Amino acid sequence: MSDSPFKGKIALITGGSRGIGRAITQKLAAQGANVIINYFRRRDTAESAAQEAREKGVDVHIIKANIGDPEKIDSMFTEIEARFGRLDILVNNAASGVARSALELDVKSWDWTMDINARAVLLCAQRAAKLMPNGGKIVNISSLGSRFVLPLYTAVGVSKAALEALTRYLAIELAPKGISVNGIAASAVATEALKVYTSSLSSEEKQWQTTPVGRMVQPEDIANVVTFLCSDEASMIRGQFIVVDGGRSLIPPGYNPVQDDQGG
Amino acid sequence: MSDTKSVEETIKDIVLTVTRKPDVNFSPTTDFKDLEADSLDIVQILVALEDTFDIEIPDEEIKQVRNMGELVVYIEKKRGEKGSP
Repeated sequence: MSDSPFKGKIALITGGSRGIGRAITQKLAAQGANVIINYFRRRDTAESAAQEAREKGVDVHIIKANIGDPEKIDSMFTEIEARFGRLDILVNNAASGVARSALELDVKSWDWTMDINARAVLLCAQRAAKLMPNGGKIVNISSLGSRFVLPLYTAVGVSKAALEALTRYLAIELAPKGISVNGIAASAVATEALKVYTSSLSSEEKQWQTTPVGRMVQPEDIANVVTFLCSDEASMIRGQFIVVDGGRSLIPPGYNPVQDDQGG
Repeated sequence: MSDTKSVEETIKDIVLTVTRKPDVNFSPTTDFKDLEADSLDIVQILVALEDTFDIEIPDEEIKQVRNMGELVVYIEKKRGEKGSP
């Protein structure tokens, strides 16, 4: 495969300035894509991500937009259309949420989380599809909280389940248009956002962060799979979620194969 | 933002809308702790302030702002930096 398989492509990464999104931005840029970095509030972080991407020799554009607000999504795509005229890759990565148990969730927290993590994916896909007349790739970032119960993760977990179902519907509807839609379900990824959910947990409760591989999943592990799903080699994968968790979800709680194999 | 509305009135409207506490009696010394705003309230207030006044509010700056009076001064300063009337 060429070192620059995405040369000349235009990619939008929502939440592309921090954590997993930043790694995706840099990986796509390193492989030749011109990147549009959507960010929420922190301009300094967005500008540093943009500078890092520019050093890879690609065009970079940053757009501030709270994607929980449909009007801001409209403005963002209007700006993209005016500046670039088309889009080749959309990575729905931006996520937010409120760390509460199910019984403590209020309407405001529920709406906030669903608007950003699920509704925005639909609205971005609708606008992006119109900018992909010759086909394109959409990758949606989910987490294992969509199918497993994680501490304080109710709102995000449910929103990610919606995102995954939406991915399947979009995949079928957009397949005839040459647009592939897939996703990645990650386990706990070593980012700043993870600390929000784990700061109050005991070491036992944090066990789900460990993997049989012996290290946590890193943002770059997710970015590597995004570039694969955006490649032509993945063109017959549609509406699927690739689990990136180092095997964590395959083993029962408390079982550590590395330690147990060593008689620990 | 409407030119006929003062910065202070606009801030009050935003805070009241987000926190859904219509009975709060605002004064320049109203401490944000007394509003019992949670972290989501604060994010939503900041987003609304940024959109309404077309400014950027870095977290490290806003952490220094303790009450309504200080917030009004802060917002007016940020607008001034942008060259707003």
